[in-house]
Amino acid sequence: MISYIRMMKILIVEDEIHLADSMVRYLSNESYRCEVAYNYAEAIDKISYHTYDCILLDIMLPDGSGMQLLQELKKEPRDEGIIIISAKDALDDRIEGLHIGADDYLTKPFHLPELAARIFSIIRRKQFQNTNIVHQDGLHIDLLAKTVRYNDTPITLTKKEFDLLLFFFGNKHKVISKNTLAEHLSGDFADMLDNYDFVYAHVKNLKKKLAEAGTPSFLKTIYGSGYKWEA
Amino acid sequence: MKNLLTKTLTPFTIYAFIVLAASIPVYFFLVDWIWINELDENNQLIAQRVEIEFNEQKINTEKLKESIDFWNEIQPGTHIDYIEKPLAKDSTYSIYRQNPYYEKFGGDKVNRFRGYITTIQINDQHFALTVETNVEETEETVGYIAVVTLLFFIVLVLGFWLMNKRLSKQIWKPFHRTLDRLKDFQLNNQKQLTFEKTDIKEFHELHVALEKLISQSLRTYQSQKEFTENASHELQTPLAILKQKLDLFLQDKQLTEEQYTLVEDMQYSLSRAARLNKNLLLLTKIENEQFQTKKPIDPGPIVEETIDMFQDFIEGKVLQIQFDIQGIPAIKGDSYLFEILIQNLLINAIRHAQPSSTIVIILNETTLSVSNGGTQALDDKQLFKRFAKQHDNRQGAGLGLAIAYEICQYNHWQLSYTYSQKRHQFTITFFPQII
Repeated sequence: MISYIRMMKILIVEDEIHLADSMVRYLSNESYRCEVAYNYAEAIDKISYHTYDCILLDIMLPDGSGMQLLQELKKEPRDEGIIIISAKDALDDRIEGLHIGADDYLTKPFHLPELAARIFSIIRRKQFQNTNIVHQDGLHIDLLAKTVRYNDTPITLTKKEFDLLLFFFGNKHKVISKNTLAEHLSGDFADMLDNYDFVYAHVKNLKKKLAEAGTPSFLKTIYGSGYKWEA
Repeated sequence: MKNLLTKTLTPFTIYAFIVLAASIPVYFFLVDWIWINELDENNQLIAQRVEIEFNEQKINTEKLKESIDFWNEIQPGTHIDYIEKPLAKDSTYSIYRQNPYYEKFGGDKVNRFRGYITTIQINDQHFALTVETNVEETEETVGYIAVVTLLFFIVLVLGFWLMNKRLSKQIWKPFHRTLDRLKDFQLNNQKQLTFEKTDIKEFHELHVALEKLISQSLRTYQSQKEFTENASHELQTPLAILKQKLDLFLQDKQLTEEQYTLVEDMQYSLSRAARLNKNLLLLTKIENEQFQTKKPIDPGPIVEETIDMFQDFIEGKVLQIQFDIQGIPAIKGDSYLFEILIQNLLINAIRHAQPSSTIVIILNETTLSVSNGGTQALDDKQLFKRFAKQHDNRQGAGLGLAIAYEICQYNHWQLSYTYSQKRHQFTITFFPQII
């Protein structure tokens, strides 16, 4: 069984053309289709006629606030996953956003693979609440129980290895740099150390465990220090 | 440092001394002149009396010589001599004489006399009459005047000193109040100072000038803060664009390994720029007092979470973390800020710890300390400054300790650094006012 039964629709509400463009180019593939609203009015227009699987919402728009839009969205029962994107790292905004009904909050500047991984998790959580299991060629990942097996062989992963596996799963066929993974794993403090050896160590362990269970080598090392998950 | 009034007291004293010292010879000449004048007058009167008395006695000429000799014998202050012709004019003189009775009666050894020589007529004969009167000696006059002057001088200086003490208390009172206010002034409080009204012109001018200066500083500070905040905000978008374009660039099928490495390097620098920017924003927010939450904080779990968060870094350097909870301080504040504080202190310790060493964190009722091994004490003047570089700094965090310091300041805690037994230790004192 393939997890993606239909194309997922994503609405990107972002006034900065370059950012919106990057997101569209990175996210659009065989499973995602993206639409862009460059301002509040366009966004209101789009959400009143269409439904989406996920909405990326920039808080600061030239003609209105993303928070307002969020309130509009939450007036009627809808099941879009909503990720707030903000240049402000204010805790209050984060709490307010999540309180009103956003599912996640990302602070600019962020990596596109980070965004893709979040979208992947939110769509899975929203739409496959009861049996949230993703598959690929015999590899089963249970997102709720946080367990992994290959055919019938269970694979025991640490919290970080599982986290990395999902991150790769949300970024299939994409080249992910060590830097992106380091930021994903340690947030703001990624650059505080002299090397990213810990990223290498985690990925190496993950690869080893997958190989021991007999999975085909989905996770490839590319250009010496980058990674790519092949499906 | 001398205070202002002591400075004026010295020249006043010197001036008074000069004036009074100069007055001594002036007084002396004046007194002496009066003396001499009076005595000359007195001598003239005596001469007149002698002349009149002799003529009234109607002594005959034979007897007169005898009488005059007798007179000369018993009247030591006067002397009468027979002269052929009357003197051309009267004359006066001063003379010092040995005191012949000094041995017997004591007193002055030498006496000064004022003499007057005039012509008198007795029985139509001319006689030269000399009258001498004792005058106070010059040295004695000078001495007395000097003593009195010195007395007045002492009285003056004492008076100056006493008045100074009183004046410094009273007149300078508004000045000291102004000074106290200025000492309490803090630029980042953003509160304009107001000074008490005063009727002293100089202080009023000082107040006006100070108020102007302060409001100008406040405005400058405010606009500088706004600038930092706006600049940081505006930077977020281009940083985000760069970051995402690089992510896209990595997906290029034609990418070579060399180009990939270049992108990784760019991404690394971008991460630093982004974090720096976030930290600048955070500092501005702390300064703008945008964190108003005051909720009880339990440091223990936050420290444990932070250790957990940095587990990769800790394992990477094979560090041991020793966390002793000896007590729990009752503190309040913004837990988000507290997390950032702990993160910055811990990451600082991790970065500077030698591989395979131990980081010790101790929490008790009043302090939280984080220590790591080191070889050389750090410059504690530079330590908490923004972007200050330490000698062994490779990738200057630049802002980590400055942020930690600001957060402590904001909560009225004290962050201090000590180096002993080859360990760097940062200590947060939660209740510095009690200790």
